Amino acid sequence: MAPAQAHPQSALTAADEADLVARLRAGDERAFEALVDRHYAMMLAVARGYVRTRAIAEEVVQEAWLGVLNGIDRFEGRSSLKTWIMRIVVNIAISRGEREARSIPFSSFASEGDEPAVDPDRFREEGEGFPGHWRAYPGNWASLPDDALLGRETLEVIKTAIEDLPPAQRVVITMRDVAGCSPEEVCGALDVSDGNQRVLLHRARSHVRGALERHLDG
Amino acid sequence: MAESHDHLSCQEVVELATGYLDGALPADDASLFEQHLNFCEGCVWYVEQIKTTVETLGKVREEDIPSEAKDRLMSAFRDWRGS
Repeated sequence: MAPAQAHPQSALTAADEADLVARLRAGDERAFEALVDRHYAMMLAVARGYVRTRAIAEEVVQEAWLGVLNGIDRFEGRSSLKTWIMRIVVNIAISRGEREARSIPFSSFASEGDEPAVDPDRFREEGEGFPGHWRAYPGNWASLPDDALLGRETLEVIKTAIEDLPPAQRVVITMRDVAGCSPEEVCGALDVSDGNQRVLLHRARSHVRGALERHLDG
Repeated sequence: MAESHDHLSCQEVVELATGYLDGALPADDASLFEQHLNFCEGCVWYVEQIKTTVETLGKVREEDIPSEAKDRLMSAFRDWRGS
């Protein structure tokens, strides 16, 4: 499975990117606007992982864009432009959070919530025969009508489930599954290990799946 | 995770699903995972649910930039360009 391919906004080739950078350096307003439209939502989502309020996150993103403009001449293309931009957001969000003593400790990242992917009660126990196997199978969603999954209500359930996540999980699932970033982009932007981002993604997806299950099968 | 087992339980499979879908499992675990799916319809459906969850997350529309925020950015851009 290649979820990134389902996200056209993540499909900038190296040549497209070099072109965009050159236009930005030359002061091309349309290039800047396109970049803002493309990345603003994810920048805001990432900033919100580090500071407590949406208003502060918006300020962080504004400041980050100034950082992008002032730093674009020094951008060397060692990471993707997107990863570089997200690093700027993260650095500003961290210093902003520290200044206000309101930062969320991303270092405690992996310890965020340690619940299993699925309620243990749904599996057979030791001594019951077939321990660890399903008591009752999860539903076959392929048999649901198409609009059950794509309806507005279902999307609301998903959005609420994302909002309910602890910050680090929310940032990672937004980057990976909503915005279509690769694991490498998440690691580069957030400065976490590949294993760490996957643990966070796993917990986050498990939570969202659970919310969908309650909605669809409930 | 699979320790020294020669098979995985359903409870272990659900914890490996993200690693499997990312192609990040060690080869031994990946093959135990696939063997399990060959005989367990419940876990096939579970993995399908996770894939469906990911696909549906990809349809969540990210919010547009508020117009005041965009105006401020465009004006910051013009200042930067003029400087």
